[in-house]
Order: sequence, then structure tokens, then C-alpha cells
Amino acid sequence: VNSTTQDEITSYVEAVRAALAGLPEATRDELLEDLPEHLAEVQAEGTGTLSERLGTPEAYAAELRATAGYVGGFPDPPPAGAWVSPREAWANVQRVLGRADVRVGPVIGYERASDFLVLLRPAWWLLRGYLVAMAIVVFFDGGADRGLLPRLGGSTLLSLMLLAGCLIVSILIGKRAGSWAVWPRYALRAGTVVLVLFAFSGFVTADREVRDDSYVGVNTSFDSNPYSNVQDVYVYDSHGNLVPGARLFDQDGSPIQLGQGYPATCVDPDTGESTPSHSMGYPYCPQNAPFIAPSAGTPQPAVSASPGSTVPALPDPSGSVGAAAPSGSATTVRPSVSPSVSRSGDSGNGK
Amino acid sequence: VHRVDTTQLLKGVLDLAVLAALREEDGYGYDILRRLRGAGLEDVGDASVYGTLRRLFNAGFLNTYVVPSDEGPHRKYYGLNPAGRTELQRSGKVWHGFASIMDDLLRERETA
Repeated sequence: VNSTTQDEITSYVEAVRAALAGLPEATRDELLEDLPEHLAEVQAEGTGTLSERLGTPEAYAAELRATAGYVGGFPDPPPAGAWVSPREAWANVQRVLGRADVRVGPVIGYERASDFLVLLRPAWWLLRGYLVAMAIVVFFDGGADRGLLPRLGGSTLLSLMLLAGCLIVSILIGKRAGSWAVWPRYALRAGTVVLVLFAFSGFVTADREVRDDSYVGVNTSFDSNPYSNVQDVYVYDSHGNLVPGARLFDQDGSPIQLGQGYPATCVDPDTGESTPSHSMGYPYCPQNAPFIAPSAGTPQPAVSASPGSTVPALPDPSGSVGAAAPSGSATTVRPSVSPSVSRSGDSGNGK
Repeated sequence: VHRVDTTQLLKGVLDLAVLAALREEDGYGYDILRRLRGAGLEDVGDASVYGTLRRLFNAGFLNTYVVPSDEGPHRKYYGLNPAGRTELQRSGKVWHGFASIMDDLLRERETA
């Protein structure tokens, strides 16, 4: 549109406006709102000036006035109040949607966004069939067996048949609903609203359940340290005697901290009485030792321990290794215990 | 005495004519004018179509959108919304009823 044609349009519109001078301004503005664009379309369609093709602006104004439905004087412009008739509100909504339709379309590579949405129709039919199947199961089965398949009575075969049936019916409805009468179509829409609400609640529930599951998973992984329940450490020498005040170190000489740490508190297993521990090393609570080594050198489990339990290091005094250690010194020597404490030969000969 | 001519009759049914012209396909102002003239309503003026479209739109019967064009101006398309389709059906029935009454009347006159 070059400037001369634009000027022609502007002057034509102004002349029409002048000819409609008797009207309330709001009405007139509304009537002329789209006229420049419309005249530009007219101009693009043929040759000749606007006046040649449309008649004088005055005649145009008279025709406009007559056909705009306000013969015999325009009614008062609608009150600019808050109340908008539902139909008007709906028209406004449609206008906004229409604009959004055209604006969004190019962003996703289509002329109008609705062009793209129309392509999704069969996808919606499938989704609708699935949702109906799920709704049927929840309705009749109470949704006790919740999963992603519509399981009726826990049978996978039955659920697949139900799903297939619902999909087929939904597709058939989708293909034929266009030719339905008004009331069935309203019913279909109402059903769609219900289904969308159902799907939304189902989505929220499923989302929450998945998140709760992963939360439990994180919790269990915290338990991976097998020593997390160790409260005290009891070191026995090759003769089954409890080593008092033992210290544990790793290969770098760093102390190994197990149990409660210093200062510790001892709880009498029988009375439940707690007393502070005075031991700087392990065990903190010698009185709670699981095995009591008698002076004769034969260790007696205080509690009956199964063979696979925590006492493989408990030495057999009659064994060959134990025999190599001088039995007299075992009670007096305080070996510095390292994690390889189970090699009783080392500890026995230490210092 | 009102002499019957198309211009006079058209005033009463222009809304219906424009709705009907949009039944199959959306269109912009000049396009609709061409459809009406092509259908035989040669007396329809441009201002009538423009004014009718404005009015039908304000009454909530039409939706509208702008289609950009490389050559020439953007075009404002109008289409029937559900309310417009309902109105088309309703007005169409009124018209058919009215037309058949007129047909009957005229036939009686002619045969009498």
C-alpha cells in the first residue's frame, strides 16, 4: 500500500465519518473501526478510485447507516458499565482467542495455532479412549489395582481387550460426531469435561505416588553403611581375652571412629541404668562385652552366637596359631590394635 | 405504497445472506461481497456488507482473524462461530417458512 492510496483511504474514511456526524461518537467509532482496512482490501481487488467503485462517501455513509440496523436514529450506545451480556463476553473471548490463534501459529510453524491443534484430533481420540477405559475401571473396580493399564479384576488380557474396545469406540465417535444432532454433541462435550477433570485428578495422584516412591528410595539408600548400628567395639586377643582400651586405626594412621565416640555412655542391658564411660579406647563399656573370657583361657560366648556371626576372629586356644602365642603375656600386653586385628599372631607377638 | 424491489427486500435478509455466504468457508469483506453478487444479489453494496459484518460480529455470531499477505494489505477474515451457525439455522427456518407462505399466496393469486 503506497502513500497515495493510503491517503485516498484516509480521506474517504474521514468523509464517511463526517457524513455520520449525527451519531454518538462511540457508535460511529465502532462502525468505522475497521473501515480503513476494509477499504484497503477493496482497493487491492480492482482498479479505479474508491469513489468510482463505491460511490460518494456520503452515499456510502447512508448505506452503512441503513444496514447497520440503526434506521431512524441510532440507539444509545451500550452503557459502559461492568455488566457484559454473556453473548458479548463470549464474543470477546473468541476475539482474543482468534488473535492468539493467529499470533501463536507462526511460532510453531503454522498459519494458525488451530491448524496444528486440528492435526492432533486423532491423538485426542486415542487419549479419550484410554481415559474412558481407566474411568470405567476406577468406577467399577474402585481403582484398587492401580497401574497404567485399565485392569479389571487384575487380568491383563481383559484390560487389553477393554482398552482396545474403548479406543475403537472413541475413534468411531471422533469420526462421526461432526454429523450428530445438537443434543448428543452437548452430551459429548459434557462427557469430555468430566473426563478431563478425571484425567487431571488421576495425573495429580500418579505424580504424587511416583514422587513418594522416590522419596522412600532415598531413605533406604541412607542405610548402606553396615556399621551404622555399631555402638561399641570389643577386641579379643588370640586367647579370647577382651582387650581393654583398644584403639583402631586405618592404613594411613587415621583413627577409626565407630560407635558413640568419647565420652560414651553405658547402658546396663538388665537394669537400663546408664553410667558414663571412663574408657578412652574400645570398648567403652567392658561390662557389656558379648563374650566373657575366663581365666582358664577357654572363651565362653555370653550369648549363643551362630557360626556365621560376628565372632570369626574369636580364636580357638587349641588351634595352632593360638599355641604360638605365649599365654602368660596375653593378658598383660596391651596390643595396639589395627584393623587387621584378626591376625592373632601379629597381635599376640606385638611389643 | 412500497414497491417491491430487491434492494428493499434485501434489507430484511442481508444478515441471513451474509451468514449463508460464510457457511462453507470463511471470507474477508470484499470476498463475501463477491460471493453474494456471484449468487445473484447484484444490488448488494459494499457498505451494506461491511456494516452487516460489523453488526453480526458485535452480535457475537462471527469470529475474525487477520491473514497477512505478501502482496497487498492484510485481510480480515470472518467465520461463523457456533452461535452464528445456530442463528443461520434459526433464520433459515424463518425464511423458508416466510418464502413458502409467499409462494402459496402468489400461486393462489395466479391460479385463481
